Amino acid sequence: MEDRPPTDAALVERARQGDERAFEELVRAHQGIAFRAAHLFTGSAADAEEAVQVGFVKAWGALGRFRPGAEFRPWLLRIVVNEAHNRRRSAQRRESLALRAAFADASGDAVPSPEAATLDREGRQALVDAVNRLDARDRDVLACRYFLELSERETAEVLGVRHGTVKSRTARALQRLRAEVSE
Amino acid sequence: MSELEQRLLALGRELDVPEPPDVAARVLADIGVARPPFRRRRLVLALAALVLAALLAVLAVPDARSALLRFLHIGGARIELVDDLPEVAGPAELELVLGKRVSLTEARSEAGFDLLELDEEPDGVFLGDRATVWFLYGAPDAVHLLVSQTPGVRIDEPFVLKKLAAAGTRVDAASVRGSPAYFLSGEPHVVMLLDELGEELPESLRLARDVLVWEERGRTVRLEGDLTLDEALELADSLH
Repeated sequence: MEDRPPTDAALVERARQGDERAFEELVRAHQGIAFRAAHLFTGSAADAEEAVQVGFVKAWGALGRFRPGAEFRPWLLRIVVNEAHNRRRSAQRRESLALRAAFADASGDAVPSPEAATLDREGRQALVDAVNRLDARDRDVLACRYFLELSERETAEVLGVRHGTVKSRTARALQRLRAEVSE
Repeated sequence: MSELEQRLLALGRELDVPEPPDVAARVLADIGVARPPFRRRRLVLALAALVLAALLAVLAVPDARSALLRFLHIGGARIELVDDLPEVAGPAELELVLGKRVSLTEARSEAGFDLLELDEEPDGVFLGDRATVWFLYGAPDAVHLLVSQTPGVRIDEPFVLKKLAAAGTRVDAASVRGSPAYFLSGEPHVVMLLDELGEELPESLRLARDVLVWEERGRTVRLEGDLTLDEALELADSLH
């Protein structure tokens, strides 16, 4: 019979009882997306790494408050994203710069020709610039939904807003973005 | 999914994110030192809940309310529960209290921090003491909603003093985007500004209506108007 890896819920339950090895498994399973989120919100690899490490330690300390039956990933990401915001603030970087830095070297692969590459790069840069011109709340929701590929419910948990707010904010952000890029 | 959404997804996948570091060993070392999550945390939470329950219980009992003077602190707001409100002569010259009238664009550039804004533009914008930015909806003599944001005030450095009528004011604990908040409702309460030394500025004395106050992103935010708690939370949530 094949052994299935334990689910997040099972690992969280063991970690809540003080099982550090179970928590280590949770760290290994989620540190990739946690780092990606932190990098997106800080624009700095060093700050992102610190935000992830501190975030996991805080998550461990807060496991007693974890609601049984809730999803671990958005709960963790909320802690990490808050840490990332704190780091960016203490570094006194503006929010738009953080996103720009994350996008600065965005590069596609399998580019068919230099001309197409230029067009693609210009198109991408226009989209990046348009995203960065959005206000912070709209950017955050787009970052969660499309750059971290979180569901609406996960996004709501990560950003600490209601589900309906994610829906309306996403629709509004897309509308503004559409107006910007079609100009 | 629209074409724009597909382009955003594609862009996300092209982002130049460095290889994630393996932090598991360092996290384990830290939690080994920091141990023990639960029992102590639960105890702290239980104590906090007890204190809150005791406070709310006290607020609910008229005799206890009139016998005590109590304080709550949230961001730069010091909230006092008193037996008798100071007298307020009449409607304050709100424009004098709030500060210099500016345009929204000027407020954005002069505030020194990213303003939280509602979708609807305010009818009046003011820059006041302690770098406070005020958004006024309605007119100074017929205010529908007043939103204020004061940055960089330490938790022990109050700049706003609220005096609540002990008998007629209700204090509800709430939460805005994970930050603790208080909703003060019932009878109008007295608000005045404090100077740098914490002294009351009598000319700023005025009556305020229901207000939601919380601390977020290094600033104290107040939403004041004829609002239910749900409406205030809805508005707070839509600030961006």
